[in-house]
Amino acid sequence: MKFIPRQPREGINVSDTHPLVEAGTLVAGLTVIFVAIALLLIFLVEIALYFIPVEKEVALFEDWLPEDLVTVSPADERLHQTQLLVDRLAFHWADAPYTFRVEIDDSSVANAMALPGGLIVVTEGLLDLVESENELAFVLGHELGHFRNRDHLRALGRGIVLSLFFATTMGKDVSNISVNVTDLALRGFSRQQESSADEFGLALVYTHYGHVDQAWRLFERWDETDGTVLNVVSYTSTHPDAGDRVDKLKDQALREGWPVEGSITGLKW
Amino acid sequence: MLELFLNFGLPFLLLLVAYFVGTMLEKGHFRSIRKREGEYAKFPVVTFDTMPDDWSASSGTLVSGSVVISLDYFKRVIAGLRAIVGGRIKTYEPLLDRARREAMLRMIEDARRDGYDAIFNVRLETSRLANSRGDGKGTAGVEMLAFGTAVKFASRFARTQ
Repeated sequence: MKFIPRQPREGINVSDTHPLVEAGTLVAGLTVIFVAIALLLIFLVEIALYFIPVEKEVALFEDWLPEDLVTVSPADERLHQTQLLVDRLAFHWADAPYTFRVEIDDSSVANAMALPGGLIVVTEGLLDLVESENELAFVLGHELGHFRNRDHLRALGRGIVLSLFFATTMGKDVSNISVNVTDLALRGFSRQQESSADEFGLALVYTHYGHVDQAWRLFERWDETDGTVLNVVSYTSTHPDAGDRVDKLKDQALREGWPVEGSITGLKW
Repeated sequence: MLELFLNFGLPFLLLLVAYFVGTMLEKGHFRSIRKREGEYAKFPVVTFDTMPDDWSASSGTLVSGSVVISLDYFKRVIAGLRAIVGGRIKTYEPLLDRARREAMLRMIEDARRDGYDAIFNVRLETSRLANSRGDGKGTAGVEMLAFGTAVKFASRFARTQ
């Protein structure tokens, strides 16, 4: 038998796809799949919300607190006054299914959050920023609006489902997923949800005080100083532009014929 | 900002560096492989497990060539993505092709250095080198081993047949 010398043929064992094309295809394809699954999960949360009655939610989250929440002393006067204000505002929401609890987080970032089970968390940063009870009342009314629309549960559901999904795909241990305030603060509500909560909040403020003076003054100040007031960036980033918001609120007051001037109630601390 | 850089910027930079350096090294290696394959093209290397009848050998020995290669970061990341959906890991193919051909060349060089004329019963073996980190999970590299029986022909005549 004759030995025929031959060099190994190229392109048999190695595919000629360029590595960058391969990388691009994979990244693009997987991104599409991931986004599709994430959207599907969000959709499933929406469906699940129909099957979780408020009573069940309250029973489930009655004593629940986010794990990284640093609360102030229960004897704090601000806590007492804020709780009182929430109760008084909620009184005007006739069939409120929640017993609202207020907690103060020691974060310097101005923020307020509506959390499952009727928990309202306001930060010390926000309390330092407000100059009258009316200003604070609107922020709290806005959070009550989130409860009415069940935005808080939607956000929590999305947060849990998506972090489980990402943890699974990244190969992390899913057994110790915890719900943190920081995650929740970064959840975004849609502009639609924020506007709807704003409307409800303003209505509560009007019913309570008989006027809407100073309700949107906090946002006006933010707008004027253009974010230089403390670290408002993180709050405004998940909320509509302060200017737009004030315009919408003014429109609403005008439409409903609510007086925009009245006596201001000072803070009681 | 710094956190963002550490989480996304740094790995991306590493990916970029790994891609360019890896591509350059691979091209250089393929050039060297093709050049040497050209030089040794007339050296008979066969896979028969017994010596062909028309070979008449005066002496023989075991020759081997082995190479250990590692995956670069870019290839590893792309292969990781590929592992999610399955399919040909195209970025690994040139890597293993290089390893097979380099191992064969080293085996031939081993034989030629001692003046052998041909190799039969050539076999290829591969083994995975576990990563020392992460409990030996993950692959640090792959070894490719080529070995066979090298023979010296009794006369130059035998070889031309």
